[in-house]
Amino acid sequence: MTINHHPDDATIMAQAAGVLGEGFSLVVAAHMERCPRCLERLAEAEALGGELLAELPAAEMAGAGLGDVWQRIHEAPAAEPPKLRRPSSSDGLPAVLTPYLDGGLASVRWRSLVPGIRQHVLHGIDSGRGSVRLLGIAPGITIPHHTHGGGEMTLILKGSYVDEIGRFQAGDLADLDPSVHHQPVADTGEDCICLIATDERLRFSGMFSRMLQPLIGI
Amino acid sequence: MMQAVTTTTDIPDAAPKPSSEEAVRWLQAISAERSRDAFERLYGQFAPKLKSYMIRQGADPATADDLAQETMVQVWRKAEQYDPAKAAPAAWIYRVARNLQIDRLRRRKLHEVELTAEADRPDEGPGGHERADERPDADRLRELVDTLPDDQLDVVRLAFFEGLSHSEIGQRLCIPLGTVKSRMRLAFGKLRAAMGEQL
Ligand SMILES: [Zn+2]
Repeated sequence: MTINHHPDDATIMAQAAGVLGEGFSLVVAAHMERCPRCLERLAEAEALGGELLAELPAAEMAGAGLGDVWQRIHEAPAAEPPKLRRPSSSDGLPAVLTPYLDGGLASVRWRSLVPGIRQHVLHGIDSGRGSVRLLGIAPGITIPHHTHGGGEMTLILKGSYVDEIGRFQAGDLADLDPSVHHQPVADTGEDCICLIATDERLRFSGMFSRMLQPLIGI
Repeated sequence: MMQAVTTTTDIPDAAPKPSSEEAVRWLQAISAERSRDAFERLYGQFAPKLKSYMIRQGADPATADDLAQETMVQVWRKAEQYDPAKAAPAAWIYRVARNLQIDRLRRRKLHEVELTAEADRPDEGPGGHERADERPDADRLRELVDTLPDDQLDVVRLAFFEGLSHSEIGQRLCIPLGTVKSRMRLAFGKLRAAMGEQL
């Protein structure tokens, strides 16, 4: 898989700092599972975090600090079992998504929004006023022109789309500013399935799209 | 500027990284022998900084003590997951502290790739001995942090220490979101250049 579109470096810094919202961090982690380039950058940004930590002035620990730590270790000595890697499902679903889509992509209960566009909202993710959802776009179908109140991050899981920015294929991540205005079109013979996180509601710009908005609810 | 030369690490006068290398040995001693002595040294070096970090993240002093202690408890328990080829000790301990702080102070979740997994990097085949060199170079980082312009260091610190998102940083500093992001990118670009990566 050749990946051509990656998260913004500023997004990687936010992930390392721990300030990326839950939904965005999920999409970024799903991308990074297959993207050594971004994993390496994240390690560099976390190295900066480590260096900043090491340069902090020391704050004196309360009296029994170390004794308390030994006590905690002895009171609950059972080591946490190392996290087992969740199996990545055979249909290409990133492992980090399996807690939310346990049957894989094949058993997603889609809801049709309009002909050619279906969606499935992932629950249990704190996204503020935004959301995390899967969107399935049939070949040739266009998502109405929209801008974003906040950011939008899209990871292509299957198929591909083209918009004003470029062509996005499986593994590519589109990291969009609030200012970006785009209109993706699924451009191959197969459905384009994407994972989309937003932190604000999308704003559709055309008249038809605005009428569509309550229906789609994104 | 000297480029990173493909050479062995045992040149006698190559700049040593005492604290980082020492901490690597401590973590390995904790992992391999459950060494209490190594743990107490690591505690002495990191716990007061972890407390400082937690205070900056908004914890009151008692909570900061608690979270600094809890971070060290997790360091003891997870030490065998530490891989010196992938991260400096400070970076690894930072991640433990960050994740604990997000969970306890912010009560949300940060999704991340499980770095303990085998598959996080493509197999580079033979020549795996060079993997130790993948760890970002802490000495160069130290120099870098000292040379970052204040406006870039400010946005970095507000994110890493005060836990502000990019848009919150923009509001705090009264600058547009795009400026926050471009300062982050510039700081990160210098960091990567200082560590000898190609931009
Ligand atoms: Zn990437």
